Amino acid sequence: MESFFVRYRNPLVLLALLLAQIVGLALQVHRSDSGRMSLDPRDSGGVRLIRLWADALVSPPERFIHNSSTGLVWIWQNYTDLRHVRSQNQDLQMTVDRLRLEQAALLEDARQGQRLQAMLGFREKYLYTTVPAQIIGSSGSEQSHVLVIDKGEDVKLQHDMAVITADGIVGKVRDVFPRSAQILLINDQSSGAGVILESTRIRGILRGNAIGQPQIVGIMADSRIQPGERVLTAGGDAIFPRGLPVGVVDKVIRDPEQDGFIRVIVKPAAHLDQLDEVLVITSTEPRFSPEQAGDIATSETLKGAEAVQDKEQKKASEIMAERLPGLIDPNLPADQQPLNDTSNPNPVAHTPMPLHPDRFTPGATEGSGEPLPGTETQPPAATAPKKPVAPAGAGTTKPATKPAGDAAPRRNQ
Amino acid sequence: MSVLSADARRDLEIHSYPVLVYALAPLAALVLQAWLPRLLGHFAWFDLPLIVTVYFALGRRSPIQGTVMGCVLGLFEDALTHHAIGINGVAKTVVGYLAASVGIRIDVENHTIRLMLIFLLSLLSSGLYIFVNRFLLGLAIEPDWFAQLGTAVVNSLIAVLVFPFFDRLQIRD
Repeated sequence: MESFFVRYRNPLVLLALLLAQIVGLALQVHRSDSGRMSLDPRDSGGVRLIRLWADALVSPPERFIHNSSTGLVWIWQNYTDLRHVRSQNQDLQMTVDRLRLEQAALLEDARQGQRLQAMLGFREKYLYTTVPAQIIGSSGSEQSHVLVIDKGEDVKLQHDMAVITADGIVGKVRDVFPRSAQILLINDQSSGAGVILESTRIRGILRGNAIGQPQIVGIMADSRIQPGERVLTAGGDAIFPRGLPVGVVDKVIRDPEQDGFIRVIVKPAAHLDQLDEVLVITSTEPRFSPEQAGDIATSETLKGAEAVQDKEQKKASEIMAERLPGLIDPNLPADQQPLNDTSNPNPVAHTPMPLHPDRFTPGATEGSGEPLPGTETQPPAATAPKKPVAPAGAGTTKPATKPAGDAAPRRNQ
Repeated sequence: MSVLSADARRDLEIHSYPVLVYALAPLAALVLQAWLPRLLGHFAWFDLPLIVTVYFALGRRSPIQGTVMGCVLGLFEDALTHHAIGINGVAKTVVGYLAASVGIRIDVENHTIRLMLIFLLSLLSSGLYIFVNRFLLGLAIEPDWFAQLGTAVVNSLIAVLVFPFFDRLQIRD
C-alpha cells in the first residue's frame, strides 16, 4: 500500500487538489428559482477569507503603484531610455530626465486636478451623499469586469452601493474590504441594472455580453428603438437612483436565444476602460445646498402658518354650531340630531285612524258645537255661518289626506 | 521536440531559485495581472500567473510543486474576481501538473518548444475555465473564443520574453 502512494503520489496530489476545489465550487453555487445555476452573491465565511487574503496581498502593491505618479510602466520605459542615452551623455540626460519627470508629474497633477474639479462640481450639484474614490486595480480577467477602489469599510462603504461618474453609472459595490472595495461594472455578464429608454419609455435589464459590451436584454422587438436614443436608470432595482445616464443605444440585434426578442447594445456614457476616479453613492437621502435648504425651510414655515389658520377657522365654526338653537339636541344621540337629518325637510304627517271612531274622533265632531278636549274655545257657532264640511279644529287635527266624504257615515251612527 | 530517454531524464537539470524569487515572482504576476488591464483596457489579453506557473513547473520538473503552485495562483486569481473561487484554480492545477510532467520528458530549454507549450497550455487553461463554468457549475457565461485565442498567442510572446529573464535568476553551481 505504501508503495502505491509513493508510486502514484503525483496523480494522487493532483486528484486531491482537484477534488477539494470541485467540492468548494459546488458549495458556492446554488439553483435559483428559475432553475438556472447561479453564484451566491454573498460569499460564505471561507470564501470571503480567501478574498480578504488576496486583497491584502495584492492591494498594497497596487496602491503603491497607483500612488506613485509615474507607475511601473513609466519607470520601465524611462529606465530603458535612460540606459540607452546615458552612454552618450549621462549628465545631460539626467537633467533632461529630471525635467521630464517633473513635467510629467505636473501635467498629471494638472489633469488630475481638472478631473477632480469637474467631479467636485458634479458632486456639489448632486442630491445624494457620495464618497469619491480612486481606481487602484482590476480583477485581471477578461471574464470578470471588476475594479478595485481605494475606499472600503474605513468610509463605511457597503454591498450594492451604486458607483457613478459625472458621465454616467459605472457599476455597484460587490465586496467591501477594510481599505478597498470591489466594483462590479455594468458591462459584466453577471451584472444587472434596471434601465429605461428615454423617448420610447421601454424598460429592460442592462448586463454585459461576452465581449464586455453593455446590452439591454429581455425586451420585445420594437422598431421604435433607434441608435442614439438615450438610456437612463429606471430606479426599480434598489441600487441605482432613477434618471441617471447610462449611455446611448449603439445598435439593435436579434436575441439568438429567444425568438421575438432583441438585444439593444448600449454605448456606455461613462468611460469604463479609462476610469480613474468614481463616486460611490452612500446614501440616497437628498442632500440639499444651503439655498435649497433655505427654500424648504421657508416653505415649511408658510405651510405651518396655513395650518394654524385652518385650525382657528375650524374652532370658530364649532363654536358657532354650538350656539345655533334647534340644530343640536343634547337629549338625542349624535346620529338622530336634527342637524344630521338629511331626509325631506317638509314631511307629510300621517295621523293613525281609530278602530272605533266616536264623536270625539277628530273629524267626526262637525256641528256639535262642543270644543274638543285640549283645543281652544271657538267663538259661538250661532254667530258664524256653518260650513258644510270643514270640522271645528280641522286646521290642527284633521288628517290632510282624509277625504271629506268619509266623515258622513260616521255622523249617522 | 526531442523526447528523452530514462537516463537522459535523470541528467536533466532541476533549476533552483532564491526563496525571494519563489515569493516575489508569483506576487508580481498577480499584482501586474490586476493592475495592467487598467492601462490596456480590452486588450489585456494575457495571463501572467499562468506563465509563472508553467515556468516554475518546467524548471523544477516536479509535478507536485507545479500542481500546488498552479492551484495557489489560480485560487488567488479567482479571489480577485467576483467569480466562484476554484475555477481558475482547477484550470491552473491541471496546467501546472501537465507542464511539470512534460518538463520531465521533454527538453524545454528551446524557445520554440517553450512558445508552443505555453500556447497549448494557455488554450487548455481557457478550455478548462469554460468547461468548469458551463458544464461543471452550469453557469450561463458566453465565452469569447477570439479573446481566448489572442490570450494564448500573447502569453506565448510574453513567455519568450520573460523566461530568459527568469533563467538569469537561477542558482547556478
